[in-house]
Amino acid sequence: MSDGLILGIETSCDETGVAVVRGREVLASVLATQTEDHSRFGGVVPEVAARAHVEAIRPLAHLALAKAGVHSDQLDAVAVTRGPGLSGALMVGVAFAKALAWTLGKPLIPVDHMEGHLMAPLIEHEAYAGPAVAVLASGGHSQIVHVRSFGDYEVLGSTIDDAAGEAFDKLARFMGLGYPGGPAIDEASQNGDPDAVTFPRALSDRPFDFSFSGLKTSVVTYLEKAKAAGSLPPVEDVAASIQEAIVDVLVDKTFNAVRETGARAVAGGGGVLANRRLRERLAARADAEGVELYLPTPAYCTDNGAMIAVAAVRHLDEGGAALDIDVDPGLSLA
Amino acid sequence: MKILAIETATPASSVAIGTGTTLEAMSLQVNRRGHVGFLVPAIDFCFRQAGWAPTDVDVVAVDIGPGPFTGIRAGISTAQAIAAAIGAPLVTVGSLTALALRAATGRRRIWPVVDVRRGQVATCPYRPVPGGVVRDGMPEVVTPEEFAALVDSGGDDALVVGDWQVLPESVLRGLHRVKTGRPRYPSADVLLEIAALKAGADEFAGPEDVRPLYLREPDAQINWTDIREEGVWPGATS
Ligand SMILES: [Zn+2]
Repeated sequence: MSDGLILGIETSCDETGVAVVRGREVLASVLATQTEDHSRFGGVVPEVAARAHVEAIRPLAHLALAKAGVHSDQLDAVAVTRGPGLSGALMVGVAFAKALAWTLGKPLIPVDHMEGHLMAPLIEHEAYAGPAVAVLASGGHSQIVHVRSFGDYEVLGSTIDDAAGEAFDKLARFMGLGYPGGPAIDEASQNGDPDAVTFPRALSDRPFDFSFSGLKTSVVTYLEKAKAAGSLPPVEDVAASIQEAIVDVLVDKTFNAVRETGARAVAGGGGVLANRRLRERLAARADAEGVELYLPTPAYCTDNGAMIAVAAVRHLDEGGAALDIDVDPGLSLA
Repeated sequence: MKILAIETATPASSVAIGTGTTLEAMSLQVNRRGHVGFLVPAIDFCFRQAGWAPTDVDVVAVDIGPGPFTGIRAGISTAQAIAAAIGAPLVTVGSLTALALRAATGRRRIWPVVDVRRGQVATCPYRPVPGGVVRDGMPEVVTPEEFAALVDSGGDDALVVGDWQVLPESVLRGLHRVKTGRPRYPSADVLLEIAALKAGADEFAGPEDVRPLYLREPDAQINWTDIREEGVWPGATS
C-alpha cells in the first residue's frame, strides 16, 4: 500500500471526524461528538446533527492538520464519506471536502462509510486482508460482509429491523439507563449475571440475517410483568442478560459466515464492536476455531475520519472523483 | 479586491466572482436539491472563465439565509473550505438583503420573501434609500396570514419580492397598496456588491457568525412506535 498523505472526513451521522493518515499510519484523528446534543432526544436527530457538523468541520480540519504537523499543501488527496448516512449530515462533509480538494488542486476520493468501517482494522493490524468475514454493527447499520479482498465485497446478511446499536439504545432508554444505550448497557452489565434472564435469541431463518424486534418486545413484556409482580431482578442482571442475547446473535451469525465462506479471519467495525462483552466473546470464539480476529480499538470502531482516509489509500492512484459528485445516502457495499 | 460569492439560500444556487464593481463570471442553476453537485463545478467554471487561481481570492462571501438549511449548509461548508485553504476572510450576507437590494422600487417599502417550507416564509422589511436599502426590522419566519398582517400594518405602499408565488393567492389578493415584483431568488452577483462594502468596512465574519440563520429550532421528534416512553425501572431514571 502506498504512503499517500490523506485527509479523511466523516460526517454521515452524529460524529464529525477528521483525520490525517499516511498509508495506514494515523498522524492525527480528531472528533467532535454530538452525544450530548442528541441525548435529550434519546436518538440521533438529523437536523441537530447537520447543525453541529457545519460548525465543527472547519475547526476540526484545522486541528487535524495541526496535530499531524501537516500543511494542507502537502496532502495527496482529500477523502470523504459519500454515504450511506443522513443526507443533510453527509452534505456538510462532502461540500467541504470537494471545495477543499478543488482549492488545493488535489484529488477528491469519495468513500463508502461501510468500507471505512470494514478497513478500520487495518490501522492497527497490518496482517489484515481478505478473505475475511466482517461484522459491522452500530446504531445505524448491522451487516455481515464477506471481504474477498479489499474492494471485493459481498453482503451476506443484515438486520431485518433495528440495527444492533438501535436495539441497545431503545432498551437502555426503556430501562432508564440513558443514551447512548450501548455504552450504558455495557457499563451496567459489568457486575451482572448474563444468565439471570433468558431472552430469546432471535435467529431468523436466513443464516446471516438478524432481527432485534422480538428481543425488544420480550424485554418490555418481561420487565412489565416482573414489575407488576414486584420481582424485578437487579438492573445489572437484566442489562447483562440483554447484552448477552444481542452478543450471542452477532457472534453466531458471524461464525455462520466463517463456516460458509471458509474465511480464516474475522474483522469488526461500528460502535457496537466497542462493546466489551462482544469483543470478549468474538475473541474466545475465534480462538476456539483457530481464526484470526482483527478488531480496531474502540476509538476506531465508532465513526471517525481515520477509517475514511485509510479506506481511500487504495483509490489514490485512480485520480479522484469528478467535481460534480453528490452525496449518496443510500449507498451500499457491492 | 477579488471576491468569490456563493449563494445557496433558495432553490437557486449561484456562484459569482468579481471585484464588487465588476462581475467577472457567474454561474447559476435552479434545482432545489442540487446545491452540492453544482457548487464546485460552477466555481471551477467561473475561475476558468476569468483566468483566476483560487489563491487570487481576497474575500469569500456566502449567503447564510434565511432559507432551506440544507442548501445553506452546503454553501457555508464550501465557503469555509475555500477560505481555510487559501487563508482568506469570510463575509456573510443575508438572503433577504440580497433580494431587497435587487428590488426595483421607487419609494415603496420592500418585503422580500424566502420560502422556508412547511407553510412558512422568512421576511423582513427594507426601506429604499439613495444607493441601496436599509433594513427596517429583524428577519422572522411567519405564516402567509401573518405575513399579510405585517405588510398591512405598515400602511405604506409596499413591494413584495422574492418567492411570493408560494403565498396563497387569497393572501396576495387581500393586500392593498401592494405590488409584487422581481427578483424571485437572490443571486451571487448581488452578494459581490454587498461583500465589497462589508469588506471595505472591515465587517468580516468571526467563526461564530458563519452559520445558517436558522430562525427556528430543529424538529426533534423521535418516533417511538414500538417502545413505551416511560422507563419501568424503579430508581434507575438517572
Ligand atoms: Zn458507522
